[in-house]
Amino acid sequence: MKTVLTAVASVAILIVFLIIVFTLSSSWDAIGDVGILDFLFGTQWSPSSGAYGAAAIILGTLLVTLGAIAFAIPLGIGAAIYISEVANPKARNTLKLVCEIFAGIPSVVYGFFGLLVLLPLLQDIFQDQLVYSQSWLAGSILLGIMALPTVISVAEDAIHSVPQSYREASLAMGATRWETTIKVIVPAAISGITAAIILGIGRAIGETMAVMMVTGNATIFPDPIWNIFSLISTITGILALEVPEASVGDLHYSSLFLLAIVLMVMVLVINLASRIIIKRMKRKLGVEPPRQAIFFKIGLIPSQGSFGDWISEHKGIITAAFVYLCMLVFVWMMASLFTGDLTALIVSVVVTAVVFAVQKVFEKIDSTVKQQVAHGGLTVIMVVVILILIFIIGYILMNGLSAIDWEFLTGVPTNGGRDGGIGPAIVGTLELMAGTALISLPLGIFTGVYLAEYAKDTKLTKLIREAIDLLNGTPSIVFGLFGLAFFVRVLDFGVSMVAGWFVLAFMIMPVIIRTTEEALTAVPHDLREASMAMGASKWRTIVRVILPAAMGGVMTGTILSLGRAAGETAPIMFVAAVSSSTAPYADSIFDSVMALPFHLYYLATHVVGSDAMQYGTATVLLVIVLGMFAIATIIRNHYNKKVKW
Amino acid sequence: MKFGLFNKTEKPSSDPQSEEKAVQSPSAPRDKNTEEWENNGQFIFAEIPSDDIAIDIKGINLWYGEKQALYDVDLPVRRNAITALIGPSGCGKSTLLRSINRMNDLVDGCRIEGEMLFHGENLYDPDVDINSLRTRIGMIFQKPNPFPMTIRENITYGPKIHGIKDKKELNEIVERCLQQAALYDEVADRLDTSALGLSGGQQQRLCIARALSVNPEVILMDEPTSALDPIATSKIEDLALQLKKEYTVAIVTHNMQQASRIADYTGFMYLGKMIEFSETGKMFNKPIKAMTERYLTGRFG
Ligand SMILES: Nc1ncnc2c1ncn2[C@@H]1O[C@H](COP(=O)(O)OP(=O)(O)O)[C@@H](O)[C@H]1O
Ligand SMILES: [Mg+2]
Repeated sequence: MKTVLTAVASVAILIVFLIIVFTLSSSWDAIGDVGILDFLFGTQWSPSSGAYGAAAIILGTLLVTLGAIAFAIPLGIGAAIYISEVANPKARNTLKLVCEIFAGIPSVVYGFFGLLVLLPLLQDIFQDQLVYSQSWLAGSILLGIMALPTVISVAEDAIHSVPQSYREASLAMGATRWETTIKVIVPAAISGITAAIILGIGRAIGETMAVMMVTGNATIFPDPIWNIFSLISTITGILALEVPEASVGDLHYSSLFLLAIVLMVMVLVINLASRIIIKRMKRKLGVEPPRQAIFFKIGLIPSQGSFGDWISEHKGIITAAFVYLCMLVFVWMMASLFTGDLTALIVSVVVTAVVFAVQKVFEKIDSTVKQQVAHGGLTVIMVVVILILIFIIGYILMNGLSAIDWEFLTGVPTNGGRDGGIGPAIVGTLELMAGTALISLPLGIFTGVYLAEYAKDTKLTKLIREAIDLLNGTPSIVFGLFGLAFFVRVLDFGVSMVAGWFVLAFMIMPVIIRTTEEALTAVPHDLREASMAMGASKWRTIVRVILPAAMGGVMTGTILSLGRAAGETAPIMFVAAVSSSTAPYADSIFDSVMALPFHLYYLATHVVGSDAMQYGTATVLLVIVLGMFAIATIIRNHYNKKVKW
Repeated sequence: MKFGLFNKTEKPSSDPQSEEKAVQSPSAPRDKNTEEWENNGQFIFAEIPSDDIAIDIKGINLWYGEKQALYDVDLPVRRNAITALIGPSGCGKSTLLRSINRMNDLVDGCRIEGEMLFHGENLYDPDVDINSLRTRIGMIFQKPNPFPMTIRENITYGPKIHGIKDKKELNEIVERCLQQAALYDEVADRLDTSALGLSGGQQQRLCIARALSVNPEVILMDEPTSALDPIATSKIEDLALQLKKEYTVAIVTHNMQQASRIADYTGFMYLGKMIEFSETGKMFNKPIKAMTERYLTGRFG
């Protein structure tokens, strides 16, 4: 049995290998003909004239992500502190759950919401600044919202896992809870909070549908470079937009694959960084022994020279000065988008001075009042976060529920999608989910069993774990590209349901593996021993005793990830999904299918006058995805209550 | 035997024969009876002039949710002396100690009744400023818990919170507190390295130094040596003896020898009740309650 499991677990390595091989080989022409440097630093991207310089796209990706994270940091970290330190402990789980719902909303629904609500709203507010309705700002806000659940949940875990003894020690010295939070808890959790931010960046950078729907996908440099009202492009958006247009084998096609590789490298760097930081955090909290030499090295001992002394003497002032300088520059940049440079300078100086004054006053006030103010602020942040969520879901459901009737649910789209129903899309999504489950469940669960029960600390195990981590971090659109190169072309499945199955299955496999492994390792050892002591074989023990005991966790993970698969657009848009209703229902698994998320994307971006259909489609998609989320939550709670180790 | 004698004079109504049995067979109902008997009546056997009482605890009842953890506990804590609390684990020593600087306020569902007088003021008055209260009554915990900062930052943390900014003044505080905690010589050359690099015993002394940094009047210690080796333990004990000259110390210990070595007064607790409180010498030589005697001689059911 062990050999079989090892073989299944190794599939993860095979998939990573295939992804690398096929993206690399597909991008080979571009590497040769365009050249890496010209590709990375070329400023002109114009497939029609054969110019493939991706600098604007790469920079655009970074800028949109930067904006997103600037938006997500205050909200995300504030909410995390609120949940861990301010909220009633009983409310903690509920609040965390609410934040998880954010993560459950499909990217395309965010994009749809952005198109319908955010863009008009921004255009009202910034009439004079916005030339087009789409903008960098809109992309960053949407991505920021999408990064929130990641930031909140990782940061909250980090803050919450700071030992209670630190809190007690600080409070016992007469510090208020707020002082304790800001001076002890947050510094102690700072690595974890940083990791949260980095993972949030990783999430934002790999997102496709939401950004491509609101940024305009213009391969230009914002002018000036901080012009958040400019059109902009991102790697994912360009891929989603141009891959269907490019013909196989030409330079455009291969340049797009090279673009995907750049994206993968970016994500890889981000994930490595977060891993290193999390390790540092563990060391700091004494989970792992401190590396004393490092403390000496990084200058916690004051340096000898007089300049070094001066720096360490005035560390606080220097940091503060730097922060204020950054603020000054930032406010100037933003203000200069609205008025002349000189007025902007005045505005920025005034704003900075006011902030400085407010901070000075805040320092002086009584620490109990300080705590009230701070906790009040955190409460406001939490409320804002929840309101955003309620608004997005509420707005779509309010408008969509009225569009839904029997004909809508079962009918075939007519008049280019403006009339009729979405029956084929619903059926297609269900078919995709079923096939995905069929492939990902055995792969995921067997691999999870292998890792939890059989894996020793060998090279192979390490490699498998690395591969799973890599898959987990791979942006969904890259799976789509890989599927296009491998299943659609090499295996010649064509654009087909079965290609979609495999791509989605590979994409959600890591989550199933991880939750299975976690659930299995949580089963207490006595249970194993009891069964083995009765002479049951290891495999029998696993199947009869351990897997059933871990069923709650396994099912939760599976349902959650299938819900995610149901909402994904980017991976299936090249390999499985079609918009036309020429042959709406697939006859065989080698036919293309309609799918809810892709249908929504298509209607929202290509079919003018299909508003009611869009709302209806978005509502059905939300109901399916959030319904699965709810089922998973109920199962989890049920098992948590029933099984108490 | 003098123990026996004491028992008889203190318990005229009890039949010595049955008491003997209760000692030998620790059957539950018997123990319950004994306990009830033991708790009816007096359990404070030390005369402390009221001027010398730093904290006067009177009739404290405490509940964790539905569960009562302290029953009518009295405890006079004498100024510039060491008061020890002993008793089997789970008897409520930590609970009592933590209620003195209101650390139990942090526990959800914790409710307390009774009086704790500190400078004639009830610590549980609604208008008591809990932060300044905790500044005046510091606490040392069972497991050393220095902050993950440098040694210096650990000690300047409290003073900075309370508004001291002057570098020189802070440096003086660091030196004074480390000296008082008998740690200065060992760490003088690495004040700016992480406190987590210190040994367990050093960490605990750092925690004591940190507690001293805000000039408390009272220092509460909850089994401060239970995680330490014998040498580190004896250093902390010496330190406690030094500290009582300037501070009032209350210490919970699971180690009777420790109480007998350092404490001036000792309270013995059992199942949330104060069974006997008296001068340490008296308690260890002639315990008044039979239950105390059984505990001290290690014959405890
Ligand atoms: N935070 C808490 N919540 C509920 N019960 C508690 C809590 N802390 C202590 N207890 C209970 O109160 C009783 C006394 O505990 P404690 O004061 O820690 O005893 P000791 O320090 O003497 O070992 C025990 O029965 C314990 O289970
Ligand atoms: Mg205790």
